[in-house]
Order: sequence, then C-alpha cells, then structure tokens
Amino acid sequence: MSELERILYVEDEPDIREVAQIALEMVGGFTVKVCSSGEAALREAEGFAPDMILLDVMMPGMDGPATLKALRERPALAAIPMAFMTAKVQPAEVAHFKALGALDVIAKPFDPMTLADQVRAVWETRNG
Amino acid sequence: MAERQAAVAAELAKLRDAYRARLPREIAELADLAAELDGAAEPREGLADLEQRLHKLAGSGGTFGLNALSRQAHELETTAQAWLAADFATVGLAQRRAFAAAVAALAGTLAQGESTPGAMGSGGADSAAPADAARHVRIWLVEDDASLGETLVRLLGQFGYEVRLYQRVDAVEADVRREQPDILIMDVMFTDEGINATEALMLRPAFQAMDCPILFISAHGDFQSRVRAARLGAEGFMLKPLDVPMLVDRIERTLDERFAAPYRVLIVDDDVELARHFSLVLSAAGMETALVSEPAAAIDTVAAFHPELVLMDMHMPGCSGPELAMVIRHHNEWIGLPIVYLSAEKDRDKQLQAMSRGADDFLTKPISDAHLVAAVRVRATRSRQLADLMSKDSLTGLLKHARIKETIAIELARARRNNQPLSVAMLDIDHFKSVNDTYGHASGDRVIKALAHLLKQRLRKADGIGRYGGEEFVVILPECDQETAQRVLDDIRARFAALRYQHEDREFASTFSVGIACTLQLPAANGDELLIAADAALYAAKHGGRNQVRVAGGSTGASLG
Repeated sequence: MSELERILYVEDEPDIREVAQIALEMVGGFTVKVCSSGEAALREAEGFAPDMILLDVMMPGMDGPATLKALRERPALAAIPMAFMTAKVQPAEVAHFKALGALDVIAKPFDPMTLADQVRAVWETRNG
Repeated sequence: MAERQAAVAAELAKLRDAYRARLPREIAELADLAAELDGAAEPREGLADLEQRLHKLAGSGGTFGLNALSRQAHELETTAQAWLAADFATVGLAQRRAFAAAVAALAGTLAQGESTPGAMGSGGADSAAPADAARHVRIWLVEDDASLGETLVRLLGQFGYEVRLYQRVDAVEADVRREQPDILIMDVMFTDEGINATEALMLRPAFQAMDCPILFISAHGDFQSRVRAARLGAEGFMLKPLDVPMLVDRIERTLDERFAAPYRVLIVDDDVELARHFSLVLSAAGMETALVSEPAAAIDTVAAFHPELVLMDMHMPGCSGPELAMVIRHHNEWIGLPIVYLSAEKDRDKQLQAMSRGADDFLTKPISDAHLVAAVRVRATRSRQLADLMSKDSLTGLLKHARIKETIAIELARARRNNQPLSVAMLDIDHFKSVNDTYGHASGDRVIKALAHLLKQRLRKADGIGRYGGEEFVVILPECDQETAQRVLDDIRARFAALRYQHEDREFASTFSVGIACTLQLPAANGDELLIAADAALYAAKHGGRNQVRVAGGSTGASLG
C-alpha cells in the first residue's frame, strides 16, 4: 500500500495557507502544493498527481463541495481521498460532508503542530 | 526533533506577528464597510464582501490563537449571512447600526491583547516568547482641569496603572478607532439644558462601539446626572473631590469582572469525536478545556489541570462514570469539585442513582451547544465563587489567615528544594483604631482596601499576599533576599503614606509598619518561626516610631530594641 506523500491543499485565505503549508511540510514532511481557489485546483490537480486533497469549504467562486465534485469527475482524480477543512463540525454537518464524498472533516482552527498527524489519521481510514 | 519543533515554532511565530501587525488595518476597513451599510441604497455587494472577510477573520484569527476575536467575527459573519439570505431592505436602521458598532468593536477585542494561547500556543510556539510580563492596565483619562489631570496620572501611576491623559473628549474619539484602553475615565459636567457636547460625542458610533468600561467623575451627584451617565454606559460614577483609593477600588472591581481567568473544564469521554466537539463548543464560549478519553488518566489530569468542573460520560470502558466520580471524591481536596454527567441515559431513576455516587448534576445527550455552555458556565461560576469564599478574605480578596500559613509552608519547602531565599513580611497599619474612631468604619475599610490594592499592584504575581487579621497583613516573597524585601516594602510604605483619603470635608492619610524575616538569616526556621521573627521585627518597627521597615536579626532577637 502506498504512503501518503503528496498533498494538494486548496484554501483561499493566504494566512491559513501559509500556516498549513508549514504544518504539513515542516512538521509532516509531506510534499505540498497549495492552490488559492477551486478553479486553480482544477487546473493544477492532475499535473501534481496528489495522494490526497484537502479542501477549505467556504471559498469565493467555487466552494469546497463544488470543487470536490468537479475534481471527482476527472478520471485520474476520481479515487483520490479528499477531506474538508472547516469550522463547521457539528455531527450533522460532518455527516453531510461525508455524504458529498469527503473521507472526513478536519476542524478549524487546527493546531499546526498536530495537523500532519490528523491528516495522516484521516488517510489511514481511506479504505476502512 | 526538538530542533525541528523550534524551527517550526519560529516560522509560525513569524507568520503570526506579521498577521497581527496587519489586523488593525483590516478591522478598520471592515468597520468602514459596515458603517457604509447604514445609508446605502443597494448595500448587498458591500455586505457580501463584508461577510467573506469576516469569515476569513474568524478562520485565520482562530488559527493564530486570537480566539475571542475569531468567535466574535464568526457571530457577525452568521448575521451577515442571514441578512444576505433574506431581503436586506427589511433590516432596520437600528440593527444596521448595532451591527456596524459590533464590527468596530472587534478593534477593542484585538487591543485587549489575548494572552490565552489558542491553537497556536499548544504546539509550543508561545514557549519561546517571554511569559506574559506583568500586564499593565491601560487607563485613558479625560480631564479638562490640567493640574487635577496630572495629579491623577501620578497617583494612579502609584498603583501601577499606565495612564494616558486627554484634555478634550474629541481627542479620544480619534484614538478609539485604532486602539482601546482597559478603562476610560471621564470628568464630565452635565448641564441642565439639553444634551451637552460630551454626551453628543459619546453617542457617536465610535464611542458606542467601545468595548471598555467607562467611569465618570463629576462634581454633581444628583439623580438626573447619574441617570444621564448611566444612559451613556457609565459603569461607575465618582464624586469630586476624588478619593483616589476609592477610585482604585472601583477600577479593580471593574477589571476583575472583565478579566476573570477562563473557566477550566475537564471533559472525560471515550468518544473522542464527541469530546472534541464539546471542547470546541466550550472553547468558543471562552473556556479552557482538557480532554481525557481514558478514565485512568483522569486523576492525573485533575491534579495537573485543576479543573473547576468535570464533565463526564456515564458509560466508559474499564470504569464507569460513577466509579470514576467516587475515585475523585476519595481525594479530600476534590470533594468540592463539581462533577456533571453527560449521558444519553433518560431514565430519571437511573440518573438519580448515578448522582448519589458523587456527582452533582446530569445533562442529557443530545444537548444543544447553547444549553451545554449555559449549564457548564452556571456551575463553574458557582464553583469558583465557593472556592474564593473558602480561601479569600471578603473585603480585600487576599488570602485568609489559614491559607497564609499553608502558603508559607509550601513556599518554604519550594525554597529549600531550589536553594533559594524566601522572605516573609508582616505589615500593620499604624493607629488604625483611631482611623476607625475618627472617620468611621467605612473609611477604615477603604484604607485596608487601598493597602490591599497597592500590595497587589506592586508585588509580583508569584508573591503571596494575605490579610492576617484586622489591619494586619502578611506578604510572602519567594526568591527574595532580605535586602530586596526591605527595598520593595519600603517603596510600598512610601507610596501608601502619600495617599490621601476623603472623609466628608476632611482629608487624611495613613501609614504602616513592617517587619521582615528571611531564610538566609534564619536558615533553621520553620514557617511558624519565620512569622514569629517577622512579628518581632514589626514590634521593633512600631516601637521605633512606626511608618518604617525593620528586619529580624540573625541571632534571635538580638537586634530588637
């Protein structure tokens, strides 16, 4: 089974993007590509060939769920595990996000020191 | 690993600093956008922009540990969202203005300089930074009488406040948009005819949006003036001529209410997801939480985290809630700790049976966020009040007699362990009985409170301060040798002696005497013996003419006169 190495991270807010990048690259040791919008993710995703995709839910233009749906329509990305990052973590909301095809939901604000572990934990659940 | 952690922490700290530096400007822009909603005929676009940016602020603020700011931004975002979904034209002017005021108030939240480490702190990013240094309370004083203004600045400075003096209220208006004080004190004159200039200014949005307490000082205390002050949001109303110690007491009481430490809540639940959710909800309400999913780990966490309330699942593997509650109750010091079960158990008999074994209350799952927060807050408040009552003196908020000896014992043991000196001082107000007899007990109480405030302001956080009896105080100074103790207390003595109290039309002053004992001079003394030595030195100070500091001699009683 393959290891989690390449992560595509889609987030419109530059400050959070930078923190997450540090958290995933420096703490987690992942190779990370960040995109600032759903549209950019659609342009870049196939070329980057990520092992996993993290999506902010609320973004101007294409939001997280719309981006997830569009990415899933690409054959090369159809099976890539995707997770949402959001402040909306009520059980009902989480269930809704999962129904959209997300593997799980990572709560915001996240702790930069443990984000990589959280992402890895979500990754481990991908076939279970 | 440690190196990498440090590198990450450094990177994150850099980001955070840059972020915080940008924030005041962003908030000012948001406030402008919100203010424009007021008259705009077609404000949808502005509102949509505002909603997006509030959303960003809520998210990024939380990531950078600005939890209160993040929470407020999120609430405003929710309001904006609702307005966008409905017909904005139906939103009344008053609502728009209140909203604009709330957006402008974000600046105040930011200025209050949150020191609670949020998401950012738990990783150790904060550990590199100096521990929050003694926080200076910032006071803005609006006083048109220049000489009174300067006197007040100096006297309030004695209590460790940082005072900024304004002569005119409109000068304050320019500043409140950028930053806010912890307290605003205004000298006002209410005229009979209509609304005066001060009132007009204070009704403007910038002032209305201020999130800091306002105290008024005024020459007239008639009912109408007080009502008008209350209408402007005054939390206090002080009459001239000013009694500074009384003003300080008011300031301290107002600040205590504002800056109470967050409630600490321990959540014990083997359902980690759910526990995390509860933790999020309570954190969002400004509480500090710790999570335990293993009942066996709960005892250690209670000891280390000192929760003010434990929220516990009833059914956990290995150990049930009631069993764990009983184990907690086995410890004498936790008998008063509120334990609340959170469970899906709906059978009232079973609930009561569970509660009979050491718990205080039962909350039924599922529970709404609002209900959870309210239920926890009410109980935590009560718990803290009781704990304070048991350990603190009601007049001064200082340690009670019994706790003083306990504190000396703890500090003495610590000092021996760390091979550090410890000084203990006993203070007694001079001729206190005659203050009471001449000016009444209320005046006497004010003198006692003034000394309590002065000690709290001038001493370090780690120092113990207690009211030993009537007008007698004990100060416990860890890592402090005799010379330093003498210097510090003599400084406080001089400041206290300079204070003036008002009683009717008379002004009076008070002094105190001090005796100090230090472990360097008395290496073999136990806690009681240190106190006795300090008391003997105090006796010497009294006999030496009062209003002075004496130290205990190295050989017993040798230096006593």
